[in-house]
Amino acid sequence: MRRAFATMGTMASIELPAAWASEVSEVQRIFRMIDDRYSLYSPDSELSLIAAGHTSLSHASPPLLASYARALEWRSATGGNFSPHRPDGTIDLNGIVKAEAIEHAGEHLIAVGCPEWSINVGGDILVSPTGAATPATASASPLGPRVMRAGIAEPLSPTELLCSLELRHPRRAIATSGSAQRGDHIWRAGSTEPISFVQVSVVANDIVTADVLATAIVAGGQTALDDVTDRWDVDVITVDRAGAMSATPGLLHSLATK
Amino acid sequence: MRTRAILGSILASTSVLIVGYQAGVSVTTSDGTSLSLPVDAATNGTAGGTNAGTDATTDSSTGSTSSSTPGSDTAAAAPTTAGPADGTYTGSSVSTRFGNVQVAVTIASGSITDVTALQLTDEDGRSVQISNRAAPILRSEVLSSQSAQVSNVSGATYTTDAYLSSLQSALDQAGA
Repeated sequence: MRRAFATMGTMASIELPAAWASEVSEVQRIFRMIDDRYSLYSPDSELSLIAAGHTSLSHASPPLLASYARALEWRSATGGNFSPHRPDGTIDLNGIVKAEAIEHAGEHLIAVGCPEWSINVGGDILVSPTGAATPATASASPLGPRVMRAGIAEPLSPTELLCSLELRHPRRAIATSGSAQRGDHIWRAGSTEPISFVQVSVVANDIVTADVLATAIVAGGQTALDDVTDRWDVDVITVDRAGAMSATPGLLHSLATK
Repeated sequence: MRTRAILGSILASTSVLIVGYQAGVSVTTSDGTSLSLPVDAATNGTAGGTNAGTDATTDSSTGSTSSSTPGSDTAAAAPTTAGPADGTYTGSSVSTRFGNVQVAVTIASGSITDVTALQLTDEDGRSVQISNRAAPILRSEVLSSQSAQVSNVSGATYTTDAYLSSLQSALDQAGA
């Protein structure tokens, strides 16, 4: 069964077996808790209080400090292409907390033994480890053990698919970044060059890596793309401003067949 | 893509092989006999002398394609000096992130006349591939996957309004 609800400024869609429907409310609770802590839209979130100078960073909660530390590690790893700071210095953890929320929700569903699920928050998707599928659900599908297929939206025409691919263990996560849906919302330190990729999708073993690296490639362009594919075990597909595409060999390998 | 990968692996291994013979290490011919190239012979064969040989070694350690250029110089200059003996030289197997790569080069009259791949990566269903880099693709390469049935759509973050007109919204309503 499928449940969709608004959260963190976007929409979430959770799919899980009907017998596990009660877990949706726990997932919603996890998302709400994270939104309450990190949203810069609500003035009394912990992060807003820090940004406004009402709370000092040294008094921040351990989860917030952990997210910030993780974001700073990603900033170093990506040479600054991913950054938890806005140009004015405000700490903005939006680039990582949505992925962390998906990660937490996935860990929860695994912990309670939910066999087969997918979580899509604003176009970033994590699916259950394939090995967790029960024989009952596996035999219900004509394909045998169910393959999770995810489409990638056409950047300039989001009601169409650019392509679709199969998500299977360990490649359980896909994230897409770009300027197509929300305008140019990615901060790019010191660069006034026009953005080269309008959309970048990264398939990885975990959702935080996928999300951060997709953002880093949009921000850093071709150089960042080459660097990311050299140093991380991820699959990538990009669309540039002219509509031309590029993809890693692994991504082409995972394309869905009818 | 496949062609590019093969070419890349050949260049990488060839450069290693060229370093080998320029440095005067012993190499093995195709018939299994081993021969040793004296260092001075290799150096004489290099257009720029000792310095060029050193540069070539430095460049080659990065495995870049530029390292094959000093090799070509060697071949061009070889007829007038004591160049490498004719024969087929087998390079050592080079370990890459995607598996082992090994090539052989055939030298005739001081020129490389053939490069043969003896071993290319092929593990974990990833066919022949030594690079994970993204390469340009045509829309036609992903066309057939557009009509596959999907349960979710990945896209740049939706606003709640944009979601209402999205494919994901339709999938959610269908309970796909």
